[in-house]
Amino acid sequence: MTFIPLLLVFVPIFTAVILYLFKTTKYSWIVFVGQVITLSLFVIYVIGLPDHLTHLLIIGGTDEMIRISFYNDITSISFVALTLFMWFVILLYTYNTNRKETKFLFFLMFLEGIFLGLLQTNDLFNMFVFLELIAILVTILISYKKTGSSFRAAIYYLLLNTVAAMMFLVGIILIYYTYGNINIQMVMNMMAEHSDTMTIKLAYVLMLSGISVKAALFPLFTWLPKAHGVAQSTISALLSGLVVKGALYMLIRINHQMFQNANYGTEEMLFWIGTTTAIIGVIFALSQKDLKQILAYHTVSQVGIMLMGLSAITGLSFFGGFMHIFNHALFKSLLFMGAGVVIKVYNTKKVYEIRGVMKTMPWTGILLVVGMLSISGAPFFNGFVSKSLIKYAFKADLVKMVLFTLINIGTVTSFIKFSTILFGPKQSLRVRRNIKQHVGMSILAFMCLAIGILYLPLGKLYGMDLSYVHLWDIMSFVDYIIYVGVGYLFYHYVIHKDFVFIQKIRGFSMTFEHANFLYLAYIILIGFVVLM
Amino acid sequence: MNPILTFIIILIGFYGLATSKNIIKSVFCVTIMETGIILLFLNLGNLEGGMIPILDRLGIAIVDPIPQALMITTIVIGSTITSLALMLCIKIFHHFGSIEWKVVLKREDKS
Repeated sequence: MTFIPLLLVFVPIFTAVILYLFKTTKYSWIVFVGQVITLSLFVIYVIGLPDHLTHLLIIGGTDEMIRISFYNDITSISFVALTLFMWFVILLYTYNTNRKETKFLFFLMFLEGIFLGLLQTNDLFNMFVFLELIAILVTILISYKKTGSSFRAAIYYLLLNTVAAMMFLVGIILIYYTYGNINIQMVMNMMAEHSDTMTIKLAYVLMLSGISVKAALFPLFTWLPKAHGVAQSTISALLSGLVVKGALYMLIRINHQMFQNANYGTEEMLFWIGTTTAIIGVIFALSQKDLKQILAYHTVSQVGIMLMGLSAITGLSFFGGFMHIFNHALFKSLLFMGAGVVIKVYNTKKVYEIRGVMKTMPWTGILLVVGMLSISGAPFFNGFVSKSLIKYAFKADLVKMVLFTLINIGTVTSFIKFSTILFGPKQSLRVRRNIKQHVGMSILAFMCLAIGILYLPLGKLYGMDLSYVHLWDIMSFVDYIIYVGVGYLFYHYVIHKDFVFIQKIRGFSMTFEHANFLYLAYIILIGFVVLM
Repeated sequence: MNPILTFIIILIGFYGLATSKNIIKSVFCVTIMETGIILLFLNLGNLEGGMIPILDRLGIAIVDPIPQALMITTIVIGSTITSLALMLCIKIFHHFGSIEWKVVLKREDKS
């Protein structure tokens, strides 16, 4: 029981290694065995936890100061549960197509172990190591198709994320220099002592900037659409659903917990960064014509919405942001997987060339509709609950509410564009039945609906009273219908016409030098806010 | 070595990243930055006249061992990333016929 956090890291890695050693495709089912073992270990672990749900595991001794330790609280346990669940669905989805690619499954399972390590570690340097390993593994997975564009996206991703991780490392070094250890819990307790020195402020700025690249915040999101556009649908779902969320988890760990006592007053700044990210993401998403690019830019904008919620630090708004991380993981992976199935059957990614999905593939069509309703915040779906909660903190502030409504309308508009693939006559295409894929996607769709309806008991688990969200409030239905109406008009009269400025936005591409220049500018901007 | 000097090395790496138009140069700028970071941390853990950190000689001033242990890990990770990036450079050259960022990002895939 005590060492289960370590086993959660090592069981997937061992599974991957066994798979790689045998090298025959006959034993590919081992991934499911490994996954079931990991899941059951996790269930045993959670049942055995004390009531306050925290567990500190010190490896190789009792002295917390010089040993490596793993720390679990309710946040990390929720993330671990999400990771295990998502990996299960992704394995179900990818098993039939990638069963013969043992190397692909090797990297996929290895990534699971590393990701679980990132979620549970209590040591800043370990966090850096896991971060770099995730960057390496994701690079390999992005470039797995071995096309030129995938190599291009992979090196862009690798170098930008390495620079970010290096900045994170400088922050760690400065913290070690001041406090003499890099244990998150211990540094958190000692934080108030030196928090007003220049060194710690600089460390905070550098760590926050490193996390921002990983989380794809404005203006550092340029790697994300490139990577999503070329990777397999499985990897896109994984990147959007989890790897980007890993950075948000680090934000909670580092900004909300470790630097909690420092009081740098960056809540407002984080809120505005989130708002800008959301708006820019929606604008880019509206201009795209490629199914996967639309979804990729929506990941950017949804991360912005999550940050808007998370920047409240406590209360219902924070919980809304926290919940939106989970909801987004569910519906965005569902959309990516559905889009992957559609792209494979139609053999094109262009929105305007795909027609009649509803009649050709009814079940995939229904699942896509569930995903679209969730992401646009329709009542009875999970997106509605978390978006309503995020609005709680600024419901009296007119400017913020207007911006939030605009983001919502933008989201609805681009999903009206996305939904045009559903309509039209039946196409005579060969549709291969793949039960496992549909089971995986159906589980995700079911979870979207379940969270949307049963959010009250879910909130009780976290000690939150979510009765602020009224499911049967007629106003929310009216709001949603108005959004859809305005969104349809906007789509029909502006987006559908494809004006020159929309083409200009679509053609926008940032070179690597400019991305780095913006990164430097971003560090200076945060530094200015924190140090002044 | 002065810590300020190591910060200057890190900034040189950053300057290179923000200006170099060649992918291989970018890879080496990342390496330069990493070298600066390693030197910075080793500096902070250094002690003038300190001995090797083996704890059988009590009462002698020793060098802090943790920075060294951590930096070895960083060097390993750094070399992994450099080799992976250079491998990608070769592949990109085969596919696009160039290793200039501008050309690579604009040009359509040949294969």
